[in-house]
Amino acid sequence: MTTHFPPSQIAGAGIGLRSQHYQDILTHNPPVHWFEILSDNYLAPGGQPLHYLEKIRQNYPITLHGVGMSLGASDPLDLEYLARLKRLAKRIEPAHISDHLAWISIKGHFLNDLVPLPYTEAVMEHVAQRILQAQEFLGQRLLIENPSSYITFKESAMPEWAFIQGIIDKTDCNLLLDVNNIYVSATNHGFDPIDYLDAIPAERVKEIHLAGYEKRKDYLFDTHGYQIHPPVWQLYQTALKRFGAVPTLIEWDTNIPAFEILMAEADKANAQIKKVS
Amino acid sequence: MELAALQQLFYDAIFDKEGTNEKELCKLITTANNLTANEGIAIYRGSILGKLSRALKSIYPVCYRLVGEKFFEATATTYIHRFPSKSPDLGDYGEHFPDFLVNFEPAASLPYLPDVTRLEWHWHRIFNGEDSSTLDLKALGKISQTQWGDLIFHLPKTSILLESPYPIHKIWQINQSDYEGEEYVNLEEGEIKVFLWRQGYDMRIDLPTEEEWQLLKAFQAKKPFETICEDLAVGYEPAHGVSALLTQFVQRGWIVDFSV
Repeated sequence: MTTHFPPSQIAGAGIGLRSQHYQDILTHNPPVHWFEILSDNYLAPGGQPLHYLEKIRQNYPITLHGVGMSLGASDPLDLEYLARLKRLAKRIEPAHISDHLAWISIKGHFLNDLVPLPYTEAVMEHVAQRILQAQEFLGQRLLIENPSSYITFKESAMPEWAFIQGIIDKTDCNLLLDVNNIYVSATNHGFDPIDYLDAIPAERVKEIHLAGYEKRKDYLFDTHGYQIHPPVWQLYQTALKRFGAVPTLIEWDTNIPAFEILMAEADKANAQIKKVS
Repeated sequence: MELAALQQLFYDAIFDKEGTNEKELCKLITTANNLTANEGIAIYRGSILGKLSRALKSIYPVCYRLVGEKFFEATATTYIHRFPSKSPDLGDYGEHFPDFLVNFEPAASLPYLPDVTRLEWHWHRIFNGEDSSTLDLKALGKISQTQWGDLIFHLPKTSILLESPYPIHKIWQINQSDYEGEEYVNLEEGEIKVFLWRQGYDMRIDLPTEEEWQLLKAFQAKKPFETICEDLAVGYEPAHGVSALLTQFVQRGWIVDFSV
């Protein structure tokens, strides 16, 4: 591969790249450690978004984060999608590629939203085989993210964290630990988020996500549309103490604010990371 | 339950208006402290329909503006139930929206809406389409006179020729957020022909003359240059012969490549 970008390793706090901020970033070159893109938004063969992305990549490391792999689906793995993703990765030279421990499609029909799995040995084996196949196709180890959820299945035979440990054992993948998702799911399902963190193998956590949830009547909804809430910052501190100075992303997907607000959130994360560095 | 069966049941429960599948699915879901199984499913339904609806809104902002939030959301919901998403890329969703609107009774009072949305769909695809090269004039200059008749000229890959009985380009234009001109459109002004294309990363809406349109159609059909000259020779003013038009097309960037 011909390297034409700066090194891709990431450290410190990064920000989710959104089209509203292209001009801000290209004009002011803000002191952000790295950006993460929603890879599914850049699968088109050309056009202005890809052009801006390449310009931004000239100054910043980039990570690719998607929902499209549908790693938990029962359909065959979508090789056309993976080929598009691989082309994007070749073009952008990302630090890594991540997707979710969830499914979004059945028989070629897509929900385009992350749905949780029943956590059984059989499903673990099935998902592990798909992750191995995706890693083989893409030629690199993936980061797998824990989803937030609003339902759990009666047939689940283990908690999510044990399922994740099993997936790691079978696939040698790494983890993108979404601390906000842990907090949201813990509140919705009534488990202790510390139990979750206790079970996660520290050396596998290569990225953390932080985002703002929405408090609805009796549950938390993972909108990525607010500043990060105090209990999530608190859980993040605990996570950093256990896992070390893990690169951390500020995710914001709805009601996208001015870039300065995202910078302020990133500064707060950087201050926390510094404490454990 | 087999994973595939469970996932199909979940999918059907999201889109099934009868509630039979949801009832079956509820039996498989653990009731949490604060969320019943039905409430959990309803959260996913709202989130999934919301995502697909927002995808349509982002591709069809002019339609959204023309019909308003409530009407658009109701229309989107009907569309989503009839046309499932078939791609992990939400940018692929909504291709059939213009055709769907043709027979969508509640929108019948806005007969131009299907054509406006057709323009929006192609705008969206062209905006994100494959980058075109610019015409290699040096290479074209090396083609011998004897081969000129066999030349096939290529329009940008990111281009489309659209026709409508309504002035869709004006409707589109006055519904842009930065538009400041006259906000009046005469729907009776007659049929229009639009050449929508991308120059570099800039989107262009051009209104070709009838002669230009015929030539664009011929290039789009990948006809050899000699055939085009023969087909179009009749009816052209000498000053606007095919060769003269070709020169103008090249200057405008409408021709990006050629093959023999």
